[in-house]
Amino acid sequence: MPRKRGLSGGVFFVTILMVVSLIGGFSYASSKVEEGRKIATTRKLGNCVSCHFLPNIESPGNAGPNLVESMKNYTEADRDIVRQWIEDPRQFNPDTLMPPFGANKILTKEQIDAVVEYLYSLKGVK
Amino acid sequence: MFKKAFKVFICLAILLLPLLFSKMARAGDEIKEYEPNCTYEEYEKTYLDFYGSSTQEMAEEGNPADLMLDDGEELFKTVAGTRGKSCASCHGENGEKLKGVAARYPKYDPAIKGINTIAYQINRCRVEKMGAKPLKYESYDQLALTLYVKSLSNGMPINVSIDGPARPFYEKGKKFYYTRMGQWNFSCALCHVKYACKRVRTNLMSPNRHHADHWPSYRLKWGKAGSLQRRFRGCMKNMRAKPLPYQSEEYRNLELYLTYQANGLPLEVPGMRM
Ligand code: HEC
Ligand code: HEC
Repeated sequence: MPRKRGLSGGVFFVTILMVVSLIGGFSYASSKVEEGRKIATTRKLGNCVSCHFLPNIESPGNAGPNLVESMKNYTEADRDIVRQWIEDPRQFNPDTLMPPFGANKILTKEQIDAVVEYLYSLKGVK
Repeated sequence: MFKKAFKVFICLAILLLPLLFSKMARAGDEIKEYEPNCTYEEYEKTYLDFYGSSTQEMAEEGNPADLMLDDGEELFKTVAGTRGKSCASCHGENGEKLKGVAARYPKYDPAIKGINTIAYQINRCRVEKMGAKPLKYESYDQLALTLYVKSLSNGMPINVSIDGPARPFYEKGKKFYYTRMGQWNFSCALCHVKYACKRVRTNLMSPNRHHADHWPSYRLKWGKAGSLQRRFRGCMKNMRAKPLPYQSEEYRNLELYLTYQANGLPLEVPGMRM
């Protein structure tokens, strides 16, 4: 009996831990997404919308591709590629208009992480 | 025998290697020009679709910078400096000796071993021929005089030369146009050739054919007239690059490069832009 109680206590504890970390994980991820959205849509930060279509933005630019469409072509395994695009797109196209956000220190590594998180959140859109 | 030939070959190869490299370096210096993304006619259509015709209508109502032409004419006839001369003293009461001249500017001038522009020449005349102070670039009087002198060639086809001694300066201008600058890492040519007719947010980027045929122009955003080189500075600020001084060697070369792109089009000043 005491043993069992101990066990169920353990199970209970582990369950709580899992739930807490899951919620924490989700809210961490969703706050990252929100941070990334801000960076992508704010003029003084990434300003991705100046060239790319992103949802719920009035008159986005059209110099670059629609990123909702682009993200349909990227799987979870491609996170590094998406990251590299933002880090320094010249490695994919030396004559690209897209600025090297990482290489030219326009955005920090953490900010780019957040933008990648946001871009992946677009996979659910339409 | 064979060994000796081999040695000679190696020596020759070593001697010739630098030549090969210098040739490669020179090939690397050549700029591969982009294919324009659209024609000017396509741009005008895209412009109308996106912005509507309100700027066109405004232009039809009249250009506020037209008023500067009268002031420019008056300045042209006004004596300035220690030698008791006006521009008209040398160039004719109505500037008749300058008719058609501005259509061939910018041009190479052996006296400065570089490229001369109308605005630059006006100040050289004042200093060297009139004993007067140079006019501050972008000041009302500088712009008014430039406008007046250029208006004497209005309607005439732009015909700048890039032959002979002008050539290296044209190449330098082109190189500048294709050089990436600033934190955004843009170049003029990226926006105005490769991505022309695309929008960066609500800014539709024009191909460069008509970039140099209408300056000084009245710009709504400035609320007054300004020069082509003021536009250079504006675009460089947008690129987060450090703008260069008016009439710097780089900007005179750049003006030559861009004006050559407009060869054959009629000169029409003052222009009007958003
Ligand atoms: C000044 C224009 C510009 C800005 C600003 C810009 N991009 Fe781009 N981007 C482009 C262009 C143009 C391309 C298409 C590739 C090319 O032509 O080189 C592109 C391509 C991409 C791609 C690859 C798309 C695909 O279909 O594979 C991604 C991902 C991307 N951009 C993300 C971003 C993010 C995120 C930001 C902001 C942090 C951003 N871009 C800001 C112009 C821009
Ligand atoms: C990021 C994009 C971008 C870059 C880079 C850029 N421009 Fe511009 N430029 C524009 C936009 C947008 C306009 C306003 C709309 C138009 O006329 O194209 C403009 C306008 C101009 C005009 C006026 C055109 C006219 O007919 O009145 C000139 C001239 C010009 N740019 C030259 C340059 C030069 C020279 C450089 C490089 C030093 C440069 N631009 C770099 C976007 C850019």
